[in-house]
Amino acid sequence: MVSVGPKPHENTWLWLLKLVTGVLVFTLILIHIVVNHLVAVSGLLTYAGVVAYLSQPGIALLESTFLIIVVVHALLGTRSIVLDLNPSSAVVRGLDWVFGIIGAAAIVYGLWLIQVIIHSNVTG
Amino acid sequence: MQNTVKNPRKASNFLHWFDFTDADLGTFAFIMNRIAGIGLVVYLFLHLIVLSQLAQGASAYNSFIALAHSPLFVAGEFVVVAGVLLHGLNGLRIALTSLGIGVPIQKGLFLGLMAIAVVGIIIFAIKMFGGA
Repeated sequence: MVSVGPKPHENTWLWLLKLVTGVLVFTLILIHIVVNHLVAVSGLLTYAGVVAYLSQPGIALLESTFLIIVVVHALLGTRSIVLDLNPSSAVVRGLDWVFGIIGAAAIVYGLWLIQVIIHSNVTG
Repeated sequence: MQNTVKNPRKASNFLHWFDFTDADLGTFAFIMNRIAGIGLVVYLFLHLIVLSQLAQGASAYNSFIALAHSPLFVAGEFVVVAGVLLHGLNGLRIALTSLGIGVPIQKGLFLGLMAIAVVGIIIFAIKMFGGA
């Protein structure tokens, strides 16, 4: 095994960001999975359960942070895989726009969804 | 160890990921990380899309949840959990060794982390499939 560093086309800061977000994703995803599968009585949260869960202080911030970090890590990881296929610089530039737009859209959508849930007037 | 070992990270063709002629633990870890990673990216976006049901209100979401309790969905979720543990724990090794930590013991590190992953997978299997 060899240690892994930035690869061609992969800026050192992006590589470091992938590494840092990866460690954060792992921490946050364990919380996310445990809450959804081991804490929720039914194994999956009900709608009222989701509203109650996200309405707790700090939880919306935690899940929003998780959303942003996981989307960034997923797209940086996908980009790494694409770089293994030795694309031309032009292709990399084009894909960077695609990844950027997909990432921004996913984050905006996810944050919007969290807000909709929090402001739902359903209780119990 | 022969010097003909290819660095899979420099593979010009993704088929090289599956080239086991020079197979070693590192190659296996690399391939596993890629396959699990791609699977998790696909799941992430499906997950985000499916959760749009939450914006449709309680009845839409609760009827989706009923569907999600079907054996096929639970099996799919189990695969996702297994992928998270394998990719995540192997990723911790990559993060450590990338920072120069534990490089000489990384094979042991990998095997130890994978043992933890297997234990976690078994716990989730019991939780998800073992319950009455």
